[in-house]
Amino acid sequence: MDGLVSRVVVIGGGTAGWLAASLIAARADPAAAVPLIVTLVESPDIPAIGVGEGTWPTMRATLQSIGVSEAEFLLACDASFKQGSRFDGWRTGAAGDSYLHPFTPPPSVPALDLVRGWQAQGRNLNFASAVSAQARVCGLALAPRQRAMPDYAGALNYAYHLDAAKFAAFLSGHATGKLGVRHIRDHVVAVDRAEGGDILAVRTAASGPVAGDLFIDCTGHAALLVGDALGVPFIDRSDVLFNDRALAAQLPVAPHSPVAAQTNATAHAAGWIWDIGLPTRRGIGCVYSSRHLTDDAAAATLTGYLKDTQLAGAGDLPFRRLTFRSGHRERFWERNCVAVGLSAGFLEPLEASAIVLVELSVGALLDGFPRTRAAMDLHAARFNTLFRYRWDRIVEFLKLHYVLSQRDEPYWRDHRDAGTVPTRLCELLRIWRDQPPSRTDLLQADEIFPAASYQYVLYGMGFATPAQGPLRVEAPDADAALRAVEQRGRTLAASLPSNRTYLDALRAASPALREQIS
Amino acid sequence: MANHTLLTIEDHRDLRVHTQRGAAFGDDVMSCITVPDEFRRVQNLYPILFQRGRERDGFNAVALFGFEEGENLFLDGGRWDAAYRPLAMEIQPFLIGGAASGSDAKQVHVDLDSPRIAAGEGVRVFDEFGRPTPYLDAVAEQLGSLDIGYQRAADFFAALDRFDLFEPLTLEVTLEDGSTNRLVGFHVVDEEKVRALDSTALGELHQAGHLMPMFMAIASLANLGALIERRNRRLRHG
Repeated sequence: MDGLVSRVVVIGGGTAGWLAASLIAARADPAAAVPLIVTLVESPDIPAIGVGEGTWPTMRATLQSIGVSEAEFLLACDASFKQGSRFDGWRTGAAGDSYLHPFTPPPSVPALDLVRGWQAQGRNLNFASAVSAQARVCGLALAPRQRAMPDYAGALNYAYHLDAAKFAAFLSGHATGKLGVRHIRDHVVAVDRAEGGDILAVRTAASGPVAGDLFIDCTGHAALLVGDALGVPFIDRSDVLFNDRALAAQLPVAPHSPVAAQTNATAHAAGWIWDIGLPTRRGIGCVYSSRHLTDDAAAATLTGYLKDTQLAGAGDLPFRRLTFRSGHRERFWERNCVAVGLSAGFLEPLEASAIVLVELSVGALLDGFPRTRAAMDLHAARFNTLFRYRWDRIVEFLKLHYVLSQRDEPYWRDHRDAGTVPTRLCELLRIWRDQPPSRTDLLQADEIFPAASYQYVLYGMGFATPAQGPLRVEAPDADAALRAVEQRGRTLAASLPSNRTYLDALRAASPALREQIS
Repeated sequence: MANHTLLTIEDHRDLRVHTQRGAAFGDDVMSCITVPDEFRRVQNLYPILFQRGRERDGFNAVALFGFEEGENLFLDGGRWDAAYRPLAMEIQPFLIGGAASGSDAKQVHVDLDSPRIAAGEGVRVFDEFGRPTPYLDAVAEQLGSLDIGYQRAADFFAALDRFDLFEPLTLEVTLEDGSTNRLVGFHVVDEEKVRALDSTALGELHQAGHLMPMFMAIASLANLGALIERRNRRLRHG
């Protein structure tokens, strides 16, 4: 058939699989001469990992593009609004050691002017509070929007916290019901290859072979296609990022209890603890390095945290244990197969980069969608260059959270060992002594973490601001911009409802919807 | 029923107010008070009519939104279809009250039975530190303007009354479906009588700053046609 690419087969039915299938199917042209057919093969008894419960703000555009109503999504997935991450105890571990990395960037004045303006305020205000109205809104656990606003619009930039299992189920219903994705529930038992090496079909236990032109490997850590079948090597990054285990727990919350506006990440002796608030429960987990902490000690750390949060039902909870290897594939698109999700790699849960990488990967695939097999290798090469760049930037950005710490435990000291810090990050840190992170440090048009993110972490961790140099500031009105931030914070704090109020009102307003999805 | 009380940080720290538009929030009214200071902003959108006040002997001015009780033709679901809303609508559920001590200082009161009083969702009046929010700042400014305008207005109405310029309005509105609405109880400024004023009278009105608002009120009657058209459009769309 002239090597036309029309049959896309997604293997794996977790968040990655259903997101990929939905995004691709939503872009299919129904008037095409050879229409795109998207098939998802899901093994009925491999449970999804289901701890990726934080998204990036990109998820709003993603959901909108596949035609989902925001209210419906929020209700079906027990979702809440995430406006950033709060890091407690990362700097020294002392009481009150806390900073915020909000999603709303600082006002757009040159970086140096911004930092100088913040310092000149002399109000002893932390960086995030000085440059983003979101800090105050997060502190009050307010929603980033009012219910009367159109779907996916907000007064502040936001993402979601969600129940990953419900999210996958919700996407599955939408993809098969509205987007025409074919769903095959069966085990993949073998992979059929062409002479040249391309994948021809996956063979299933009961449904026979499922042939395709393009395969999307969403099989998670198993990496059935890209790893087992195509043998793309795995690049271990645990020399930089030490975490390799997690203990996860889920706790019901009391009705009417506040719902946090950010992911809380609390550092401990050999890793950190995530705390994600949904309207119905809190997802809490202890991430650690098995080289620095025994499983028993990690369990004790997590138990201690749960005790401190005084959540009902803590104490005799079973913890789910997860192990992972920090790293990614050497290539992500090999022959006619693209790895999306955990099959492409996983570093650690910090900064919730897993789901956003799914969105970015499928976005890049669609941007350079190969019409025929002939062009595929060129697209694949470009894709691999782009994503190798992105994984490297994520590794560096995650490492940044650790290298600036003054904590004294072996784990944290090891993180500061020069041999574990990527060269490029060392160079950036040297440059940032003289000038704040800015666009000039990041070369791509579509950087995964913008300069603002580096600023939030750097100055949140107490990195010294540049000393006065020979250059004067460019915009003398950085001061006015910062005053506007404060005023906006006051206005928003007055007009936004709390997360809890918003989500409860949403639930109360749609009993029909609620019944339909439960 | 109104339940007016003095707004205080102690009693209303967590008070929230619905600031959106809608019949459920009490926007389904056919008119509201306006003051001559505000005529400039009102006159190109709403007809300005006069009513003999119940409490005061003199006249009041109102901006007209509809032809019968409860009809606001500018209200379209949750939207108020005009670029400017009169102060008297904007300040709700707040009002100006005199201080208990009898001094001249004015205080902000709030009607706790107003449908604008919110629970959970809505704009806060005081922030988490007990300071007035930007919303309350803005309302207080509007209340101040309205109060000053109201005090100044007495002179204006008295002067026009003295020159006998008010004329009862008898307006029968015949709609496209043949039904008629009658506006009763309103007055307008009589153009004939204004034309007949001598230069001494005109000079006096001008000196007191009454001419400008008077002509604006006269000009605002051109909006009656547009208001009838709004009513007809509503009939057509059921």
